[in-house]
Amino acid sequence: MARAVSTQRKALVTVVAWVIGIVIFFPILWTILTSFKTEAEAIASPPSFLFFDWTTENYGEVQARSDYFRHFWNSVIISVGSTVLGLIIAVPAAWAMAFVPGKRTKDVLMWMLSTKMLPPVGVLIPIYLLFRDTGLLDTRIGLVGVLTLINLPIIVWMLYTYFKEIPGEILEACRMDGAMLKEEILYILTPMAVPGIASTLLLNVILAWNEAFWTLNLTAAKAAPLTAFIASYSSPEGLFYAKLSAASTMAIAPILILGWFSQKQLVRGLTFGAVK
Amino acid sequence: MGNITLSKVTKSFGDVQVIPPLDLDIREGEFVVFVGPSGCGKSTLLRLIAGLEDVTSGEIRIDDRNATELPPAKRGLAMVFQSYALYPHMSVRKNIAFPLRMAGLDKAEQDRKVEAAAKVLNLTDYLDRRPGQLSGGQRQRVAIGRAIVREPAAFLFDEPLSNLDAALRVGMRLEISELHERLKTTMIYVTHDQVEAMTMADKIVVLRAGNIEQVGSPLELYHKPRNLFVAGFIGSPKMNLISGAEAAKHDAKHIGIRPEHLKASKESGVWKGRVGVSEHLGSDTFIHVHDTGLAVGEEDMVTVRCDGEMDARHGDTIWLTPDMERLHRFDDKGLRIT
Amino acid sequence: MATQHSRAAARLMISPAVLLLLAWMIVPLAMTLYFSTLRYNLLMPGANPFVGWENYHYFLTDPAFTTALVNTLLLVGGVLVITVVGGILLGLLLDQPFWGQGIVRILVIAPFFVMPTVSALVWKNMFMNPVNGLFAYLFKAVGLQPFDFLAQAPLASIILIVSWQWLPFATLILLTALQSLDSEQLEAAEMDGAGFFSKFFFIMLPHLARAITVVILIQTIFLLSIFAEILVTTNGGPGLASTNLTYLVYAQSLLQFDVGLGSAGGIVAVILANIVAIFLMRMIGKNLDA
Repeated sequence: MARAVSTQRKALVTVVAWVIGIVIFFPILWTILTSFKTEAEAIASPPSFLFFDWTTENYGEVQARSDYFRHFWNSVIISVGSTVLGLIIAVPAAWAMAFVPGKRTKDVLMWMLSTKMLPPVGVLIPIYLLFRDTGLLDTRIGLVGVLTLINLPIIVWMLYTYFKEIPGEILEACRMDGAMLKEEILYILTPMAVPGIASTLLLNVILAWNEAFWTLNLTAAKAAPLTAFIASYSSPEGLFYAKLSAASTMAIAPILILGWFSQKQLVRGLTFGAVK
Repeated sequence: MGNITLSKVTKSFGDVQVIPPLDLDIREGEFVVFVGPSGCGKSTLLRLIAGLEDVTSGEIRIDDRNATELPPAKRGLAMVFQSYALYPHMSVRKNIAFPLRMAGLDKAEQDRKVEAAAKVLNLTDYLDRRPGQLSGGQRQRVAIGRAIVREPAAFLFDEPLSNLDAALRVGMRLEISELHERLKTTMIYVTHDQVEAMTMADKIVVLRAGNIEQVGSPLELYHKPRNLFVAGFIGSPKMNLISGAEAAKHDAKHIGIRPEHLKASKESGVWKGRVGVSEHLGSDTFIHVHDTGLAVGEEDMVTVRCDGEMDARHGDTIWLTPDMERLHRFDDKGLRIT
Repeated sequence: MATQHSRAAARLMISPAVLLLLAWMIVPLAMTLYFSTLRYNLLMPGANPFVGWENYHYFLTDPAFTTALVNTLLLVGGVLVITVVGGILLGLLLDQPFWGQGIVRILVIAPFFVMPTVSALVWKNMFMNPVNGLFAYLFKAVGLQPFDFLAQAPLASIILIVSWQWLPFATLILLTALQSLDSEQLEAAEMDGAGFFSKFFFIMLPHLARAITVVILIQTIFLLSIFAEILVTTNGGPGLASTNLTYLVYAQSLLQFDVGLGSAGGIVAVILANIVAIFLMRMIGKNLDA
């Protein structure tokens, strides 16, 4: 649609959009700015916006006080681990459903989705007790397992919608060209599916990274990822704005960056392909 | 080589039988076209031969070997798909070389064959491009290139020209015909376009609802359609089919006369009518004639082909005379009366 | 393309995912169901006698349940209204051509990627704190008494925080849907003499209907389970003022260690969520055929 838009109108939209964009982003911006202030400046009245003495000491202190990197590492292992495990289980399933659809494929997909609807409190107690009795409480392995299962339906669905877009005729063509199942998977399917798998990986790492029900309820000190690490700052004695901001910034920065790359996948993944 | 025999082949999807028991013989070197309206089972039949669908019962033999249970990769056939089905992540060179790579040819041999095929198909300059960077006609050529390099027992074409625009379609039609002349390999070609069928085929198989209505050369089908369906399907514009009293005069339930076998005159003739729309093609003019009083189906219209210079205005009275030698007669079951 | 051979292989490939999810759904749910019929408190070891419907009776007649149910509905409803209306407006705005479109889009989407505990803490301390928060400063600057958001309007404050987190999701989906609107349709409407409002109500809104439904249903699923935001900001208080069902079950089972009662609450939550889920599944199921 190439249509002329008056410059005046465009300028007006630009101003409005930028103001709204900055208002929505402001809490994040403010957090990042505060993380570079001293504690005194952080609660100064009137608050200083940009003209303060920039310092990075908060970051060092957060690391020293509560061992940021250990929690960061827990988050990485739990989110990446559960996503990779989920992919290993989901890729064959999604492949089969996309390329060898049967009469019940649709039912199976819908049923998988329905497990995602199960509210976590409904199964919190048994899982908690099972974890307690098997020594999985406060372990990374336990969390990897739980997050794999709660994200598995989304992973299967995302892969399914991506695989569905690989035209069946291309797979038939390679069979006509003499490829058996092994070559078909190796030379045709894998290279064509890799972008979809990468997107799925990205979105699910983000979802697992930010998951804050199971990570809060099933961890204590050892396996706590960043969600739980930050929650420990909610106690009144931990109320130092600059340090809280530094910790928050470090907790969200990696995923914020990944998130910006995965906007499209977000729409697709979380709507189960219903909006593209 | 390239003999393909189907005996008593059937195909059902669930409870629906799309191909009732069917026998067909395809001889080496023939250009066979499966033609019929959409949903007639022509593509399914091709896919059964390819091995992309399992037959429900019956036997498919390729070069005197039972191929019924063979996977597509082992049948030695090549296929060109409607969507071309090129591998988007591979260059043109790799696309064409793919079947050779699967056959385990060494790199030098692959290159030699790819270069040769590219030269024939005018693709030499595009070998290092991706399919996404090519035009429709070029993609079509790549698909054909991928099929010819492996020197198959037979080529299968599934509506290969339907995604091309009209001008390209005519050009590609000629190229495929020339390819057949040069390679002398069996080709099986599926289309819903009877013009493609008529112009390219040695042998046309007309299908309707999974049944073979008639098998024959293009001219056999044109001159001696076995039944009303074939009569109406082959030929453009369509044969005029007339029933009722006029047909009874010829001892038939229905009679058919092609537009080119009617003579139009402003003065006199056998049937009288009123001129409707005239389509001027330059060389010919097709006139749609109404109010003939003949029972010619719902639209009450007879089409006649006349000279390009014919000057007929909307509403003019016109006389038509059929060429009695070329009149087709059909009985109450729709079968041809000889 | 489906042949006998590939069907068998397909079943084999699907089964790990199916079996795992089946186990994940059935085992804990059966256990919850079982626990919900026992008098079972972790602080009182010993026999856990079967008590039938007692826990359900106790849970459902407890005034806390009614409060939590109302709070849950207010929370879900409030967030939905704000995000859907806001999402449509923002979607329309971002769909216009303007300078820096890409950057503004990134700014608007960012809150979705902030983990719930961080956003709750940031809002609680740096904005809503009655002494040092930015809002308190703004109130004072215009001569008003600072307002203690989380003490005086805890639920509304949580609705605000959660809406901030979910507005990007609604915006992104509605924007995507808007962009898929065929511009020829809009041009045809313009040729027919439609102004902006007629275009919006007769062309855009019907086109967005499906995306809006999807937004509502997906968000509802997530919003019914809001937990971290409450835990971090108010702990459900003051009193029960910001306790939703999820938090109530958590408090009863993991804070008061009453497994039986908590389990009954869990089952009630599952039933409520299922009612929503049925609508969502119908929506997406239809889409599968398309």
